Amino acid sequence: MSTGALEAVLFREAKIRATNWTFIFWDLLYPLGYLLVFGLGMNASLGFTSELNGLDYNAFFLAGVLGMASFGIASNTSWSFFLDRDNGIFYEMLTYPLSRSQYLVGKVLFNVGVALVQALLTVGLSGLLLGVQVRPSGLPLLVAATVIGTSAWFFFYAIFALRIRRNDTFNAVTSVFYFVFLFASSMFYPLEPLPSTFRFVASLNPITWHVDVLRYATIGVGDPRTIGIEAGGFVLFTLIAFWLAVQALERE
Amino acid sequence: MNDTAIAVDHLVKVYRRGTHEELRAVDDLSFTVKRGSIFGLLGPNGAGKTTTLRVLTTLARPSSGRATVLGHDVVTNPLDVRKHIGVVIQEQAAELLLTVRDNLLTFARFHGLAGPTVRRRAAEVIERFGLDSVAETKVQDLSGGARRRVQVAKMFMVDVPVIFLDEFSSGMDPILKRSVIEMLRDQATGGRTIVLTTQVLTEAEELCDDILIINKGRSIARGDLHHLKTLVDRLYDVTLSFEHVPEDLHASLVGFHPEEMTIGHGTVRLKLRDEESRVLELVSELARHGRLLRIEINGASLEDIFVELTQKSGGRS
Repeated sequence: MSTGALEAVLFREAKIRATNWTFIFWDLLYPLGYLLVFGLGMNASLGFTSELNGLDYNAFFLAGVLGMASFGIASNTSWSFFLDRDNGIFYEMLTYPLSRSQYLVGKVLFNVGVALVQALLTVGLSGLLLGVQVRPSGLPLLVAATVIGTSAWFFFYAIFALRIRRNDTFNAVTSVFYFVFLFASSMFYPLEPLPSTFRFVASLNPITWHVDVLRYATIGVGDPRTIGIEAGGFVLFTLIAFWLAVQALERE
Repeated sequence: MNDTAIAVDHLVKVYRRGTHEELRAVDDLSFTVKRGSIFGLLGPNGAGKTTTLRVLTTLARPSSGRATVLGHDVVTNPLDVRKHIGVVIQEQAAELLLTVRDNLLTFARFHGLAGPTVRRRAAEVIERFGLDSVAETKVQDLSGGARRRVQVAKMFMVDVPVIFLDEFSSGMDPILKRSVIEMLRDQATGGRTIVLTTQVLTEAEELCDDILIINKGRSIARGDLHHLKTLVDRLYDVTLSFEHVPEDLHASLVGFHPEEMTIGHGTVRLKLRDEESRVLELVSELARHGRLLRIEINGASLEDIFVELTQKSGGRS
């Protein structure tokens, strides 16, 4: 695979993201805002620790913020994907000297890069400002979960960005995804005290699998066997999403 | 070195709508394009021009047949085709979130070009396309015409040997269009092959060395303008300007059975299908009716040829 083509895709993505402050806000600052405003508020006002093995909410919520960042970055990229197609540049790019898979891989690599920077910022600031201690032995898993998680959500969103033709439909779909995936998961709260139906739905949600792995990686919470199953499920979800995204791209 | 830049051999492209209905957008089309020529692909709306270009630029796969660009097969070797082509698609296509300059630099980067030389070239292209005042403006803040200019300007950032232009001049003002036409001529003289589709037939008449007219996905005429004119013989456009239009003029003209006739502001315009001697006879006859200020007799224009041939082949698609 020619690195020139990948480098060009990365250059393009970086130019677009770096020269549009709204992307910087949504990619990097928005999840931090959740951590430092929402998380801090929840921790101070409710301060619940009963279901969290003595952890405070900031420590619990750190993995949620990391998962939210991966999800949000992928969502932003898929929106730019949709915009590219809507503006015709997507079709022009398909006549450039790069393959469709290089185009997809370039976008994923850029996403992953942004997600890793975001994760570094989040972990650093949560330690500095909120006193959350991330276990060093979990860092390789944290990096892997961030890389795979961001790729998975990008592929997932790409399927819809490539198939949906109308802007309003696409916006509606992404809004529903945000609501369903983020809230019906272990991102914001522990699932144990919740009604069984909710727990069941959340256990089928790939965000739950992703966030649980991130939580295990960062603060060591979770049963290793369950985490292993969730990690396996998430990798399978990633592969299926990748395959469907490639299919959608090949149809263009 | 092979003289052929593009070879299309029995190309068929079928679009399926639902389970039963199908549209043969390109139907057994064959042609070749010489290196360094400006080739015009003309036809009415829905004739299959854009589909043919989509196949040649690897955006669509043919249903059957074969097409090569500089010897590279568009199906089996699409990446090599893309390394040698630049494409202005029919739809507007520009990086809306980037500035005009970054659009040019990003395009060059995809063709493996970066650095100070490319930046200098971008500055030259920006100047030639009259984009200086908006060079640092994001394309999303430009008018449709300016966006189209950026799209075409990109083709001058790289030295790919083949350029495809699908309705390149839409949204361009006449002065810029004239300038781009001159630039394209220079490019062809320098050895680049240019394939264009256009609805503006005077543009094709002015630019193209070689023209293919298609309708319903099939070839209906091929050749240079001179050759095409021989396909529609004995068709003349006659324009006569009088000091004062004679009152009995209409009656005299009817006897010559013109296919079209307009009279106004001292000028008579006629389209005649007849022998050359009859046309000259008409002119001398009319000259007896009043003082003539101007006489102009032209053979069939590309538009006449286009209309006649497409109608003969079954009208619009």
